[in-house]
Amino acid sequence: MPLHAQVESRQLPGGCPLWLLHRPGPAILSAKLWLRGGSSGDRPGERGAAQLLAGVLSRGCGPHSGDALADLVEGLGAGLRCEAAEDGTLISLKCASEDAPHLLPLLRHLVQQPWLVDDQIALERQLNLQTLQRQKEDPFQLAHDQLRQQLYGDGPYGHDALGVEQELKALDRAALERQASRLGSDGAVLVLAGQIPMDVEALLEVAGQPLWTVAAPQRQQGPAGWTGERFAASGDETEQLVLMLGATTVPLGASQALALRLLHCHLGIGMSSRLFVALREQHGLAYDVGVHHPARLGDAPFVFHLSSSSERAEEATRELLNEWQRLLEMPISAAELELALAKFSGQEALGRQTCSQVADRHALVLGHGLAFDFADRCLEQAQALTPADLHAAARSLLSRPCLSLCGPAAAIAAAERVWQSHPLAD
Amino acid sequence: MQVSTQPVTALPHSPSPAASPLPEPLRQQLSNGVELVQLDLPQAPVICIDFWCRAGSAWESTAESGLAHFLEHMVFKGSDQLPAGEFDRRVEALGGNSNAATGFDDVHYHVLIPPAAATQALELLLDLVLQPRLDGGDFAMERQVVLEELAQSEDQPEEVAFQDLLRRACPGHAYGLPILGRREALEAHTPDSMARFHQRQYRADRCCLAVAGPLAGLDLLAQLEASPLGRLQASTDMTAPCSLALQPGDHTLELPRLEAARLLMAWKLPAAAQQDAVVGADLLTTLMAEGRRSRLVERLREQLRLVESIDLDLNVLESGSLVLLEAVCEAEVIERVQAEVRRVWEELSQHPAQEAEVERARRLVANGYRFGLEAAGSVAGMLGNSSLWGRRHNLQAPLDWMQHWDSARLSQEVLPLLNPEQAFCLRAVPA
Repeated sequence: MPLHAQVESRQLPGGCPLWLLHRPGPAILSAKLWLRGGSSGDRPGERGAAQLLAGVLSRGCGPHSGDALADLVEGLGAGLRCEAAEDGTLISLKCASEDAPHLLPLLRHLVQQPWLVDDQIALERQLNLQTLQRQKEDPFQLAHDQLRQQLYGDGPYGHDALGVEQELKALDRAALERQASRLGSDGAVLVLAGQIPMDVEALLEVAGQPLWTVAAPQRQQGPAGWTGERFAASGDETEQLVLMLGATTVPLGASQALALRLLHCHLGIGMSSRLFVALREQHGLAYDVGVHHPARLGDAPFVFHLSSSSERAEEATRELLNEWQRLLEMPISAAELELALAKFSGQEALGRQTCSQVADRHALVLGHGLAFDFADRCLEQAQALTPADLHAAARSLLSRPCLSLCGPAAAIAAAERVWQSHPLAD
Repeated sequence: MQVSTQPVTALPHSPSPAASPLPEPLRQQLSNGVELVQLDLPQAPVICIDFWCRAGSAWESTAESGLAHFLEHMVFKGSDQLPAGEFDRRVEALGGNSNAATGFDDVHYHVLIPPAAATQALELLLDLVLQPRLDGGDFAMERQVVLEELAQSEDQPEEVAFQDLLRRACPGHAYGLPILGRREALEAHTPDSMARFHQRQYRADRCCLAVAGPLAGLDLLAQLEASPLGRLQASTDMTAPCSLALQPGDHTLELPRLEAARLLMAWKLPAAAQQDAVVGADLLTTLMAEGRRSRLVERLREQLRLVESIDLDLNVLESGSLVLLEAVCEAEVIERVQAEVRRVWEELSQHPAQEAEVERARRLVANGYRFGLEAAGSVAGMLGNSSLWGRRHNLQAPLDWMQHWDSARLSQEVLPLLNPEQAFCLRAVPA
């Protein structure tokens, strides 16, 4: 069964690639406009600018005030989101297909004619500052922020897309105007999935507006890892100790990336995954345990995460470190590889159930400058990988992980003792 | 470039957008009365099989606190035929996945699986759910996991605040108690007490099965008659949980580790069985708090700029639904936020909403509903939940019910239920 009935590749006047993924089923349209350059493109002293700009785009653009735009979008029961990730800014629109003629023109207004009104910038900035503050309630967020600092320092991947408080406070319209004038200049791609209007290109052209001159995102080298302190801890009066163990690895599409993705499936996908079985089923150490390994243009993080009661900090740390060490010491079995492959292809099928999922996955791949059929090719290439290939990837990419902890002082002390006497700390 | 052959439509006036007819579910009954509901989604890449049972935390006795949820964990520890972990390994080796969720009223177990493996997955799932082994060693280990889950939730101050709100707003009712259970009760549970709970609750008249996805060529009914589901007996002497009586009130709670204050409010609304009223409540809460142009968001976040966010969630429940408000703000302005919430309600009481606001809410609710019908998992969930509680409408019905509501009716019948005087209001502030 075809996963989408028909794919068309076109180009908007001005150069932006346009992919149309026609799907039978409900009359829904999902549009994803990916603009290269997210929070990793924030300039020094302006960390948080990409996200702030993304938030302000929908607060007035083209002929629409912020209120008029909200009336239009919400009045049609549609969803419109603009948000910055590390490598790109993503504009997502989801609506009933018959409403698309009224909403698709917004995409061009958003990127070409944002109003950037001072008052709305102030509001969005205040909301982002409040969110940054509130995130500190979550011990997982604290451990994650700390690990990011260990892995990327003050480099392009070193901060939350929301920014850094002191720098975000100082961001003004001038900074956003600079940022807005470059939107898409490093490449952009638009993917539509679902039931797509016939005259879609006409809808994406705005009368009287200059051409939007952009090119398809090209392959390029993304931000690198940094690896600072191998061990870091923040004290917090929680019941559990949160542990994150991670390293920086390689970009999506790099030669060892697929081997690493299969290790991710083996370790962290599903209830039969290695970490779930070893740490939760066999030791009862945690409720939540898993692997975080997002696709990145640069050196992507590969992270084990776990939270366990403070009194079991020593055992939890030892077991978690041993699981990482095991990756370095021995290849996984042929049966484990087979299961990982099944999960890898299963994930692909499960991730293509809705128009938004389909559009999102293709926009990400194309936004990274990879081929449209990248995911399908990976499914084929994965079949040829051996346990030795995965072991080689682990040994070359995961040999020096960093440990980040958040929790009570006594638990941190116990965990640190385990870390210091463990071979991974060398 | 292609030239359009279709006229560009004017701003649509039709009540429900994208109004292609929704497919009809197929309803069948096993000889013991268990309902099977199926919906064919020929384009979907996977099938979802969803088993539902009236065995949420509201059916626990005091001593059984947390048992419904703990049992949900233990089910995945295997049956006499399936060693622990074998179910997950087999389902995942077929490219599928499985999960479960325990609520106040019910519990459900679901598996997403490629169509070719659906028959096998169904057999495994029913064996696991209806004949769990409840081994003593597994039980002790999984109790640790549940205690870790409890500790993890207690480290999130927002969850602590919500739990406190429900405890105060729903005294004497199961909705005021944590689904995860009390720690002391969890420590006292045994495999025997769990087996008794399972035998009492997992009965023919208390469960159903929903299946959605590409169903061509599957004959599930015949398979089910011969399965453990077909052998279930009906229950006897089951008393339903009592109707919810919400206790209005007002309290301030100081919480450590809280970075921003929370204004939390709870109201009681009609129970899930009153479907027309539930649709009205969905429309009104959307009108009030979904999107930048909703009453509360516009006033409190966009104009007065007192809150980082404000949400009004409708939780549809069998003993009485709950509307929960959460506003995130600085502690210094929390009283002002509370006063403004009241003012917004008073304004709506004095001047009913514009028809355009109601239409906006209708479209948001209708599209949210239609978007939710794209994936097999959400379709099966929706069908399973409503069938479990004897609500056998088709998928189109909720969209039609929406048309019976207008501004005047919302003002008369739903708005009074959200009177702040009738709410429990909790101000959680950083300690």
